[in-house]
Amino acid sequence: MLSFLVELKGPIVNGLLLGGLYGIIGIGMSMIFGIVRMVNLAHGDLVILASYLSLVTMAFFHVSPLITLILVIPVMCLIGFVIQYYLLNRVLGKGMNPPLLVAFGLSIILQNLLLLIFTPDARALLTSISVQTIPVGGFLNLPVVYLVDFIGSIITIVLLSRFFNRTYMGKAIRAASDDEGAAQLMGINTKTIYAVAMGLATGTAAVAGILVGMTFTFYPHTGPEYLIIAFGVVIVGGLGSLFGTFFGGLILGLAQLLGAHFLGPGFQLLSGYVILLLVMTFKPTGLFAKG
Amino acid sequence: MKFLRSGRLYGIVLVMLALISLPYWASRYWVLVMLLFSINLALSEMWNLLAGYSGLISLGQQAFIGLGGYALAVFSLYYGLPIWLSIIIGGTVSVLFALLISAPIFRMRGVYFAIGTWTVAETLRILFSNWKYVGYGMGLFVKPAYALSFNTIYYTALGAGIVSVALVYFLLRSKLGLGLMAIRDEETASETLGVDIFRCKLNCFLISAGVTGAVSGVLYLHNIFIQPYSAFGIDWTVRLVFITIIGGIGTIEGPIIGSFLYVFLHQWLSDYPSVSLLILGVIAIGVILVAPKGIMGTIQEKLGFEFLSPRRK
Repeated sequence: MLSFLVELKGPIVNGLLLGGLYGIIGIGMSMIFGIVRMVNLAHGDLVILASYLSLVTMAFFHVSPLITLILVIPVMCLIGFVIQYYLLNRVLGKGMNPPLLVAFGLSIILQNLLLLIFTPDARALLTSISVQTIPVGGFLNLPVVYLVDFIGSIITIVLLSRFFNRTYMGKAIRAASDDEGAAQLMGINTKTIYAVAMGLATGTAAVAGILVGMTFTFYPHTGPEYLIIAFGVVIVGGLGSLFGTFFGGLILGLAQLLGAHFLGPGFQLLSGYVILLLVMTFKPTGLFAKG
Repeated sequence: MKFLRSGRLYGIVLVMLALISLPYWASRYWVLVMLLFSINLALSEMWNLLAGYSGLISLGQQAFIGLGGYALAVFSLYYGLPIWLSIIIGGTVSVLFALLISAPIFRMRGVYFAIGTWTVAETLRILFSNWKYVGYGMGLFVKPAYALSFNTIYYTALGAGIVSVALVYFLLRSKLGLGLMAIRDEETASETLGVDIFRCKLNCFLISAGVTGAVSGVLYLHNIFIQPYSAFGIDWTVRLVFITIIGGIGTIEGPIIGSFLYVFLHQWLSDYPSVSLLILGVIAIGVILVAPKGIMGTIQEKLGFEFLSPRRK
């Protein structure tokens, strides 16, 4: 039994670390799902957009990808705010389908815009840490970039959680998400709140995009892959808590790498999808949902 | 009114005659354009049946497109079955697969259904690209289709387009259609009055899957080459969504107008496929914001004019 676990230590540790990255990919989608009650089908493409923005910034200033966060996060926040304020807010309250389809259209527009500007070539945010590994206890080599992903993800989530609990804007966002009507009566402009929430969500997409770009290669069409991962994280983790989303990411990452370990690398994505379908079928409110 | 109705009938007959005689007076290029138009029409009419009339936003139509295409390739290539039989098998396989996934997928609602169907298609894509029998990701050549003439494929596609429009027209005038419209207008009330919501939606899902699978067989007679990444790609459904939304979701004529626009824009910008998708995306968002019922829906609302009304007069 113990030797079995020792053999699995690689996929388990890497799966958990990768799961941290999935958590940060999913967190923005979870926020919008919970606050605006809308599924942003363009979330994956926003993540990839951030990867490309970082690529451009890197080439322009010759800095490391992590430094580009200083510029990419505000730009992405602004893009998110504008998208929500001028586009998505106009179709809210008109039923389930119009917001879904507008976001879907946005996703296609983003993909093809990136394709036009950057060609379909594979890109990566290369740094020295992309290829380094740390030996742990003499029996395991950890890729440094996975560790950076995991830590970056935890820092972002802790900061977000402090924001939601400590600041006026954070409380207003939570109020608008709990009861839109009551929040409006208390003098909160929910439309602006939604736009701010979207700005925050795309801000997390900026962090996710840069980490994704440092970890994997990306193309203009990789967005939907991360959308399904993000959705998986949201569904598995359930709505309502930032840390639940993070755990959803861990489970998904673990499932993928264990699937790849037992079935072969071609099945890494597949085992994630199967978990997602199972949870959606049997417990659509998520594994960690309250009540 | 009677004159208008008979005029409408003459109009339909005239258009049909023009389309049937097309290979005899138009250039091969225009026959190709109309071939693509017919296939897109048939596929988007099926998405429209789901999204526009049953409220099921499926993002997984590519699952049935891939299954239909692979059924054609496998049965005609490996087993030497006649092409037409292989196409029918493709439709049957799609219906069976739809029936199989309906148990979990119908527990999902709204956006869960959308992502669920998409995930199922992605799962198929990975399975097929790891499956030795169908040549992994390298794909298969539908060699038996070389025996068919271009005109035969055109007539098959045209037939598929016409049949799909007629099918939706008669479905909506049937008991199933009445049930669907009752559900769309007021779900709870319709259920109280005895409409079996689950069965209505399931029937639509199965019909849509079967027709999509069979039409995809016709599509791959034309494409000749099938490969999992393109066959099970979301791009198909993107196209169907744009066509239906721009033309008018929930109208029979919508996909006709939408397919025209799509095929012409695609041909016009054939050197820049990403530009045409970009333009379609912008138009689609504009339509949802300004005229959510699409081109045909808005015309019907403003002028009270309908070509193919599902209503009984």
